[in-house]
Amino acid sequence: MPRAVAHLKRRETVGPGHYLLHLACPEIAASAQPGQFIHLRVGDGTDPLLRRPFSVMLTNPDEDDVQVLVRTVGRGTELIADHEEGKQYDLLGPLGHGWPKPGPGEDIMLVAGGVGVAPLIFLADSLRTVEDRPYVRAIFGGADQDALVCWTEFASRCEEFTAVTEDGSAGETGLVTDVLVPEIERDRPQRAYACGPDAMLAVVAEICAGAGIPLHVSMEQWMGCGVGACLGCAIPAAEGGYVRVCTEGPVFDADQIDWERMNER
Amino acid sequence: MTSSGPDLSVQVAGIAMQNPVMSASGTFGYGMEYEEYLDLSELGAIVTKAVTLEPREGNPPPRVRETPAGMLNAIGLQNPGARAFIDEKLPQLREFGVPVIVNISGRSVKEFAQLARMLTVDGVDALELNVSCPNVEDEGMHFGVDCSSTGELARAVVDSTDLPVIVKLSPNVTDIREIAVAAAEAGAHALSLINTLLGMSIDIDTRRPHLGNVTGGLSGPAIRPVAVRMVHEVAREVDLPIIGMGGIMSARDAIEFMLAGASAVAVGTANFVEPATMRDVIRGIADYCRRHDVARVAELTGALRID
Repeated sequence: MPRAVAHLKRRETVGPGHYLLHLACPEIAASAQPGQFIHLRVGDGTDPLLRRPFSVMLTNPDEDDVQVLVRTVGRGTELIADHEEGKQYDLLGPLGHGWPKPGPGEDIMLVAGGVGVAPLIFLADSLRTVEDRPYVRAIFGGADQDALVCWTEFASRCEEFTAVTEDGSAGETGLVTDVLVPEIERDRPQRAYACGPDAMLAVVAEICAGAGIPLHVSMEQWMGCGVGACLGCAIPAAEGGYVRVCTEGPVFDADQIDWERMNER
Repeated sequence: MTSSGPDLSVQVAGIAMQNPVMSASGTFGYGMEYEEYLDLSELGAIVTKAVTLEPREGNPPPRVRETPAGMLNAIGLQNPGARAFIDEKLPQLREFGVPVIVNISGRSVKEFAQLARMLTVDGVDALELNVSCPNVEDEGMHFGVDCSSTGELARAVVDSTDLPVIVKLSPNVTDIREIAVAAAEAGAHALSLINTLLGMSIDIDTRRPHLGNVTGGLSGPAIRPVAVRMVHEVAREVDLPIIGMGGIMSARDAIEFMLAGASAVAVGTANFVEPATMRDVIRGIADYCRRHDVARVAELTGALRID
């Protein structure tokens, strides 16, 4: 059954309003694939009511360790920010479809925006031990230096790494996509992976489609059940209608998404 | 359960259920989604997500938003249509061996009647009329807030099927008793209440509604006292079995609804919070019956004491 209990071993502050949870959870540590998520029950009562979905950032099966990156955005995540060591979380997971694996020895490009870095760290980590390991380049962007959370964890798992901030406080100045275009032209990666704000993903999708590079994206949406029943987390599908982030996703091929309808809000 | 345990079985409009606990439409998909989390054969019944004549895409995102002790949703009746439901979902649903109640929604009386005829097939045990979906313009809501149209609709469906017909009532009315009476007079076999309360929430930073559909239906524990009150009112007015729902999270909540007059209960939003809620509610009701020397759970229906 895809559910488990996790204990909070340690909560590390990794930036203003950003926390890295170190959870003890043998089931998830053993079975989570890069790109999958867990659906965490934050409180015991009825407020907050719903579970909160989080991508898994890293696992260490030998130590039953699961790392989850949390940015405080509302009531649920603010409560997490106050939880003490030993706190028990009931969780569903691992849920959803993770990242497709790159081909042997492929040149790949990872594009992360803010906390969207979490599932990409897991992907980069998982590729370190594969035979005929891919060559991994990464671009990590955010509004400012503080938004580039866990950048060393990310950079240390990639062959090449570029940081970019809108205010120039770290790395290059500009948007992720400003850096992506010249890098793609120069390096011609065979495959790309991206996670971040919807607006960023839409532009990355356009750039990759133009360059003929297959792109996989991990999507975020407000979620109800997490198991495909409520249809609450639906996003517009390229073939018309909607797809569920929790079940068909959270990782999609970029051409499965209708980016125009996605950007209507 | 041991032979000395309480009798949890109930009859609702001729549907024999092993216990009074079922899923609320729209919160349990078509059952299969929850198969890994609880034994569906233990349920009193399964009520499906709404089925419409043609497939529906549903509303643009965001479709859900948490609110204090509740949630707003505006899914918009996304479903694969009646044909696909019968061919692809129903055969799997039947395998759980519990009554299947299909929630149906249409744009006109004619469409409801057509759906009722289509769904009068082996494996469907009852129809629940969604006359009160708040998230689709000119749909059920239009019927469910008006006595004569509720009556007309219920009668048309009753005339189109030999299955028991359950009318699901909207709380978004001045007096729910009037609608309940209209449904009863039209020949409905049971009532279910309440559907979601129409609500709205706004992001003050962007000054936009949180939901893509602007408004949505409020569910969860926040609405429970309203739902209990409405079940109480309707039970005193109408001589039809009632399926009570609205924010049931535990056996305690379910028993409240039964005391207020419900013959059975439905669990909705709680399934999202804890997928095994219905199992826990069933067990908790049995415990309550043991503790209070209740031999048959049906004795609880309407057992409210008001001096």
